[in-house]
Amino acid sequence: MRRKARKEGKTGPPASALTVMRLYISDNAPNSVQAVANLAAICKEYLEERFTLEVIDVLEEPLRALADGIIVTPSLTKVSPMPAAKIVGNLGEKSDVLIALGIKA
Amino acid sequence: MKPALRALDVQPCANAAPAVPARILRLVKSAPERKALASGQVDAVIDRANGAVFLLHEARWAAVAVANRLLAALPQDEYQRLLPGLDAVELACGDVLHEPGQLIRHVYFPLAGLVSLLALVEGHRALEVGLVGREGMVGISLALGVDVSSVRAVVQGGGAALRMTAARFRKELCASLALQDEVYRFAEATLSRANRNAACHRFHVVEARLARRLLTTGDALRSDEFPLTQAFLADMLGVRRVGITAAAGALQRRKLIGYRHGSIRILDRKGLEAAACECYRIVRNDSR
Repeated sequence: MRRKARKEGKTGPPASALTVMRLYISDNAPNSVQAVANLAAICKEYLEERFTLEVIDVLEEPLRALADGIIVTPSLTKVSPMPAAKIVGNLGEKSDVLIALGIKA
Repeated sequence: MKPALRALDVQPCANAAPAVPARILRLVKSAPERKALASGQVDAVIDRANGAVFLLHEARWAAVAVANRLLAALPQDEYQRLLPGLDAVELACGDVLHEPGQLIRHVYFPLAGLVSLLALVEGHRALEVGLVGREGMVGISLALGVDVSSVRAVVQGGGAALRMTAARFRKELCASLALQDEVYRFAEATLSRANRNAACHRFHVVEARLARRLLTTGDALRSDEFPLTQAFLADMLGVRRVGITAAAGALQRRKLIGYRHGSIRILDRKGLEAAACECYRIVRNDSR
């Protein structure tokens, strides 16, 4: 199962470019559920609608995850804008996520 | 096949300490991933060598809960309360879980595979009177106040299951209205299915019953290919082996199934559904 949530909007402080992310999860496992919720809150607060998020369930697509260099879930990758970044865990540390996404230096 | 079950590499105790097994630790090389693993923030690790997914800690049990629908239907707190009394066991094909006339020592909640319930009648072959898969439990008579089995419960198609002692099950059942609801719902479904089976045995031809049974097995094992001997099929359907040979031959000629060396393969699922008696569709819809 691959779930896609694509949201694109007009404004998006602080970044002007569209942030493209992939979140790798394991079905309804606790940390995965938490990561989805934590990321949703961060996107709402900081990216408004200027982001694209693809949620990939590794139980369905393990080889896709491996091809993307992911071996643990939950993992979040920022594909663009460059530089690419990756953060592992349930995304509970908001400041780490903001740094990985390039929202905060 | 969804690899979740491959990940059900269950530990024998529901309260297993959250230590990460060494073989999984070896798969994780980078510092951030190791840090997340150490802090319990990782649900699964993928083996680079073969793409196998290993679920960890609570994730494993979340998957377990989903795997058995009776347990999955319980509220989260009720399920958590049951966990310490549940042991994960691997059931092998041919294992006998209960014998008629003997005390039921454990109840089983299958996570994969099927358990066949056989009635033994003197002078005759065993006859399959029920089937239990991921939707229910084996040992339902305990919930109805009878601690002696009336059937032989034989594993058909191995897989993981959760097991609870009979004493613990009775205690948990008394303590939980939610568990009572689910168990009694399953008891009613079992009774209703037994009624349907009685009519099916009497009115439907062997070929249609065989098609139904093969489809049910394929659904439970989530595979279109599985091992089944003609002798076992004869027991399941209560007919002589020659009757099974003829029915399987007819399905084979219609290119609905393939049969070789004790292994059956469903070649045309739609066609096999059309060949099965109505009981397949009715029971499948009831159990959804």
